[in-house]
Amino acid sequence: MKILIVDDFSTMRRIIKNLLRDLGFNNTTEADDGLTALPILQAGGIDFLVTDWNMPGMQGIDLLKAVRADEKLANIPVLMVTAETKREQIIVAAQAGVNGYVVKPFTAATLKEKIDKIFERIDAQ
Amino acid sequence: METSNKTVQLDAARALVTALEADNEKAAEHQLTILTQSQESELFHEVGKLTRELHEAMNNFNLDSRLVDLTENDMPNTRERLNYVITTTEEAAHKTLGYIDQTLPLASELKSTADKIDQSWHRFRMKEMNADEFRALSKEIEVYLPEVKQKSDQIHANLSEMMMAQGFQDLTGQVIRQVIDLIEEVEDNLVRLVKISGQHSEIKPEGNKKVDPIKAEGPQINAGDNPNVVNDQDEVDDLLSSLGF
Repeated sequence: MKILIVDDFSTMRRIIKNLLRDLGFNNTTEADDGLTALPILQAGGIDFLVTDWNMPGMQGIDLLKAVRADEKLANIPVLMVTAETKREQIIVAAQAGVNGYVVKPFTAATLKEKIDKIFERIDAQ
Repeated sequence: METSNKTVQLDAARALVTALEADNEKAAEHQLTILTQSQESELFHEVGKLTRELHEAMNNFNLDSRLVDLTENDMPNTRERLNYVITTTEEAAHKTLGYIDQTLPLASELKSTADKIDQSWHRFRMKEMNADEFRALSKEIEVYLPEVKQKSDQIHANLSEMMMAQGFQDLTGQVIRQVIDLIEEVEDNLVRLVKISGQHSEIKPEGNKKVDPIKAEGPQINAGDNPNVVNDQDEVDDLLSSLGF
């Protein structure tokens, strides 16, 4: 299971990476916005995408849309971890096909819960 | 305008001199009136010019509605944002320091018990220990091992909390970026204002910008006051489940 973490703040990438390692996911890679994330995704081998919303270059919501629009990537589960808390934003993310939405600041337990839920759904399919 | 006024004044002055020399009082009085009137009309003209300039300047102020908006809304908002940065960094620092305070004694307790057991173990290896002392030592080790596990778990949990507290850097960083953008905008507007006051150039009013409802805004500063904003993860989950998630 290889996970791509996309956030423009290196501290947040580090936090998410450490949390994922605690949860047993040791294979992670990082990108600092949608533009740098897309080529990594297109190169293949990414099984799970954790992305921020507010980033320079390409924003997380556009990355999500690009992933869903790409035949090869469309089925990758996407967890959004963001400080964006407007209802419209959450609705748009849901409509764009996000698999989970975690608001910052978050706890380790919340991240674990959302990831577990995403995999439960995938396993159930 | 000015030249014709000067001609009128010169003509009047010459006529005044002629009238005075001729002892024609009536004519002299008439020429004096003409002279004073021309003086007054120049003054009115100047006042009129100043009034028009002031009016234009005021209009230019009104035209640049973004500048007004910046002062009325964005500046107080920025104060709140910077206060948010102070509060958030303060909370994060206290949280981290608090967990350090909790964790240091755990490490010291583990170390001091380990030191004690180490000494006893050394005496046992040197065959300096009697049976009762050895029984006491095994009891100590038996108590110590689960304690190591429990305390290491606690240390791990505390370290994780300290790590989570570092999330403040992302949140405050986003807010500070917004403040930098605002300062740049204020600077641009001030430069424009200086240009306007230097030369009465035409400026175009900025049309109201289209509001993008899902534009990324970073952390919400007064989320509680805004019904359009969710306050915590539970509200996100409720909203998503209402959408069939």
